[in-house]
Amino acid sequence: MSERLVPVVCPYCGVGCRLYIRSVDGYPVGIEYAKDIPNISNELGKLCPKGNAVVEYLLAKDRLKKPLKAKEQGKFVEISWSEAIKEIAERLKAYAKDDPNQLMFFGSARTFNEPNYLIQKLARMLGTNNVDHCARLCHAPTVTGLKAVFGAGAMTNTYKDIEEANVIFIIGHNYAETHPVGFRYVLKAKERGAKVIVADPRFTRTAWFADIYLQHYPGSDIALINGLIHVIIKEKLYDERFVRERCVGFDEVVSAVEKFTPEFVEKVTGVPAELIVEAARTFATAGKGVITWAMGLTQHTHGTDNVRLLGTLSAICGYQGKEGAGCAPMRGQNNVQGACDMAALPNVFPGYQAVTDPEKRKFFEEFWGVELSGEVGLTTVEAAYAADKGKVKAYYVMGENPVISEANANHVMHTLERLEFMVVQDIVPTPTMEFADIVLPAAAMLENEGSITNTERRVQWSFQAAKPPGEARPDWWIISEVGKAIGFDKTGSGGFVYNDAADVLREINACTPQYRGITPERLKENLAGLHWPCPSPDHPGTRVLYKEKFLTPDGKAHLAAVPEYRGPVEMPDEEYPFLLTTHRYVGMYHTATMTMRSEALKKRWSEPLAEIHPEDAEKLGIKSGDWIKIETRRGAYPIKAKVTRAVKKGVIAVPWHWGANVLTNDALDPVAKIPETKACACKVVKITEEDAKRLMEKLPPVIPKIEVVRG
Amino acid sequence: MARKTVFIDFSKCIECRACEVACEREHNGMSFISVFEWQEMAAMALNCRHCEKAPCVEVCPTNALYRDKDGAVLLAPQKCIGCLMCGIVCPFGIPELDLINKIMGKCDLCAHRRAEGKLPACVETCPTDALLYGEFNEIIRKRREKFTEKTIELAKTGENIQLTGV
Ligand code: SF4
Ligand code: SF4
Ligand code: SF4
Repeated sequence: MSERLVPVVCPYCGVGCRLYIRSVDGYPVGIEYAKDIPNISNELGKLCPKGNAVVEYLLAKDRLKKPLKAKEQGKFVEISWSEAIKEIAERLKAYAKDDPNQLMFFGSARTFNEPNYLIQKLARMLGTNNVDHCARLCHAPTVTGLKAVFGAGAMTNTYKDIEEANVIFIIGHNYAETHPVGFRYVLKAKERGAKVIVADPRFTRTAWFADIYLQHYPGSDIALINGLIHVIIKEKLYDERFVRERCVGFDEVVSAVEKFTPEFVEKVTGVPAELIVEAARTFATAGKGVITWAMGLTQHTHGTDNVRLLGTLSAICGYQGKEGAGCAPMRGQNNVQGACDMAALPNVFPGYQAVTDPEKRKFFEEFWGVELSGEVGLTTVEAAYAADKGKVKAYYVMGENPVISEANANHVMHTLERLEFMVVQDIVPTPTMEFADIVLPAAAMLENEGSITNTERRVQWSFQAAKPPGEARPDWWIISEVGKAIGFDKTGSGGFVYNDAADVLREINACTPQYRGITPERLKENLAGLHWPCPSPDHPGTRVLYKEKFLTPDGKAHLAAVPEYRGPVEMPDEEYPFLLTTHRYVGMYHTATMTMRSEALKKRWSEPLAEIHPEDAEKLGIKSGDWIKIETRRGAYPIKAKVTRAVKKGVIAVPWHWGANVLTNDALDPVAKIPETKACACKVVKITEEDAKRLMEKLPPVIPKIEVVRG
Repeated sequence: MARKTVFIDFSKCIECRACEVACEREHNGMSFISVFEWQEMAAMALNCRHCEKAPCVEVCPTNALYRDKDGAVLLAPQKCIGCLMCGIVCPFGIPELDLINKIMGKCDLCAHRRAEGKLPACVETCPTDALLYGEFNEIIRKRREKFTEKTIELAKTGENIQLTGV
């Protein structure tokens, strides 16, 4: 019997906490807190409930153990790896020969950098840029918005800077609930005397700690942020020197915010004018300030503008390029940053090098030894509509679950049904697999090794802590086998011949400028990891971006002027009188594929509850615990009600882990192509339990049973 | 011997329930700390106080409840007859009946972890430091010190600094 403590990175949210898995003969038996590793993102080894329960999902009874092939929809037979790989390679090759744009690949923010690098390499070597992943649905506007203002789409600072700030403006996310260990740094700053400003339509656990709480309507962010900028400019509270020396476009901002007086903003957002003035003064005069946000801000048709405005707010106050200040988007999944860096995106090569730039393309053509497409590929939602029209015929889905995670889920299911060929690679059965032709069993993150990049650009190595069940294999191995079978069997960067994940990372080092110095050797030695950009093997990594200049072509911050107020595209009307918004629970994660397989989490966060204001509830005759039906133009969803003052009147808030996306709107932000998941019009009626059961049957099950038949 | 226990700073608890999950993992699926939501928003974690004059120890007919060298109130399972007396007299309703074994279970301040020089799991994991392990007077002294520090700071800057989380 050999007992080992293996250092891993938490497989859940983007904080990237370190912990040890205790394993006996490759079997995970417990965890230990990483108290002895200095400078990691979870100081003193602290973990939230999900981190505490990581072993449970590894041991789930329904882990996938063998490759499967569909006989008919939802019914599978077991096949061997060689059969599976062969069939996938042949089908992909055939589509690519015909027209590579019939293929669509999904990378995954829940697996390592290496498989994400490989899946986009595979897509691109086959001749298409149709590759994307679920960052499209969470932080695409962060990437496009911050890029427009500062020249790059990543968090500009680190957790340390949140701790050192004098004011923290939290907008559009429930920090305490979504990233409990990250919230630690907010509380530490507050203990030091920092002020906390929270803007959220719900009075959340985070709002509880606010010095100033702004309860605005879902989707009214443009007005709110413009209002703050208006006050800061009117009262001359901005950093004149910083604006003069390091920003462009200030005059346009001045005229754009002209009409956003506190009184006007009060009307649009529902936040009292005095509070807007107080928040603006507090934020601008603190000396050092951080802004944090997440999906409450990004999942809108104007998500990109929201982010651009936040960048502008931060820049005019001079809160860039210094310690204790910055813009901190909070990533939901453990490797959203890494999957973006690795270019599981339709418009860039690894390291955000545009596919449309002939010079960058030439580099990768030589590097991979094939001709590459210079045409920007499809995003996830666009792919669904292209598939609908028969233009996209095959999906390769690695570690994703679009049936639950994409907006307007009914349409997504309709699309998946129309596909000719779909491969789904995951660790447990998901409702998406129902539509798959081939299912590949993957090793969970803790069962293999690789590098992973957290919210604060920190790249860490996670080691293998347990044996994968049955014939499950690491993601990098699966993609490299498919690549070889297609015929990309050269050694070196022109093929898919790798011995291990470290090999892949070495190739990443060679073609991704930000990762050049982040070698496997350095990461394995230094458990706290390295912050990119890290351009050479002796570079210490970068904590604060933009100290000297921004990454825009002229090195200046391009301030955003957004003169027009736009709310959600679908506003309440007579037929659909409420505004629906979605949120998440601290103990549940993403589409609940992992968390619902943990007893400790499932028992505490057992069911979704729709939050409704007492006055609305009374009008509809609803009490806490009653079943209600929420209906939008796209679907209906049964759920139990929770009457609470935490939501504003007229707003209904539901957690989305259990498939509430049948309701949400897939109208897109024109730049980032993110759907407006966070706000749409809905109606609510009370129903009986029987009605609820009947409605439930029509929804995709969160934990499906995959039926394996003989022969 | 100074008696140590787990203290809770209510002003910092975010109701994440990491402490419950951690406790449950260390105690075969039973959690001896519970987090309550109070009046919709305030949260508080409730656990055994390892009382100075512990009524549970006093009342136990078989002496199944006893103190270890750190002063923690522990339960010897082989002596427990499941009479429920301790649960009834505990002012916080802490000892719980394990329905399978029909004996009581309660917080042991992670005896197995303390033996290795580690903190109780709930304290170790609490992301906001709302849970503190220590001796009562020591913790009170620290809080006073912090309070004084902040008051001095306040006097210096003349600013309105909040005293949450001291
Ligand atoms: S905060 Fe995030 S990374 Fe840390 S333990 Fe919780 S889920 Fe894991
Ligand atoms: S771990 Fe800490 S913050 Fe979380 S519920 Fe327990 S006491 Fe509260
Ligand atoms: S079980 Fe109750 S009475 Fe006994 S030591 Fe704990 S808190 Fe005190």
